[in-house]
Amino acid sequence: MENIRFVVKLADTPIEARVLHESTRQFLREYLTEEAAAFFVAVTEENIAYERQKADPKYHFTDAYLETLALYRQISAGLLDYDTLLFHGSAIAVDGQAYLFTAKSGTGKSTHTALWRKRFGARAVMVNDDKPLLRMTEQGVTVYGTPWDGKHRLSSNIAVPLKAVCILERDTKNHIGAVSPRDAWPMLMQQSSRPSDPAKLSQAMRLLDVLAAKTGIYRMGCNMEPEAAETAYRGMQ
Amino acid sequence: MRLKKEFITHESDGEQILVSSDTAAFSGLARSNSTAAFIINCLKKDTTVEEITERMAKEYDAPKDVIARDVARIIEQLKSIGALNL
Repeated sequence: MENIRFVVKLADTPIEARVLHESTRQFLREYLTEEAAAFFVAVTEENIAYERQKADPKYHFTDAYLETLALYRQISAGLLDYDTLLFHGSAIAVDGQAYLFTAKSGTGKSTHTALWRKRFGARAVMVNDDKPLLRMTEQGVTVYGTPWDGKHRLSSNIAVPLKAVCILERDTKNHIGAVSPRDAWPMLMQQSSRPSDPAKLSQAMRLLDVLAAKTGIYRMGCNMEPEAAETAYRGMQ
Repeated sequence: MRLKKEFITHESDGEQILVSSDTAAFSGLARSNSTAAFIINCLKKDTTVEEITERMAKEYDAPKDVIARDVARIIEQLKSIGALNL
């Protein structure tokens, strides 16, 4: 088995990784760096077997693909020490400010941000369509692109200030309103990475408090019509 | 008895949240009022129902039988989500 090493820079943090599949380096090619790493992770056959066990048994996934999941699991756990949290959602930037849409799988996060791209054209940039990273500071939250960007492979290697998080639900009509951090908490918790190490879990929850305090949190009922993008954008200004 | 080490409390907006790092066992989120939070905090060290009731009685101005009932109820709830090592 090969032993492949490289340094990848995610959310401004260089991380040294040792993996078993060359395809993983390719997957990360836009994020490789020569900088000195802040921490080190290594994927083993056991880690890949663990991902297979967690994956949907209806599908066959290659070891190479599962390695990317195993790697992100370790990286996201390590990044908690750098005030950075993996969040499941579709993040789009308009005029230099990012909006993160989150929802249960199958609700239509990606469909909704596709409506935004139609509505805003060149003003809109996809940050990441599936699993962006959020870095919390006293000044605010920054959302970062990552290559773990969902089935449509939509992401950019950029960092954008996060203006709002929007919890999407399907509805026949479009409507949006602010929600309190308390009401949003269960969903924020469900949609962010939940480390199995208790100390890291505590850190993840501290970061969610910063997220809820530093960004607007909204809940939106939406359909698939173009006006959904307009309602969402206006509702979050 | 004591709280399992996988169960983590977090103070958010003056309210205690209880979650588990072992989501296969408990994937929810429990919010506690101040009484429940007091009991959960007692359970972070090995303790007994009697000891918790004593500590509660010192902290809260309520009849002992009321306190004992509260303690028993919260402990039952914690047991039901698998949060305790007995």
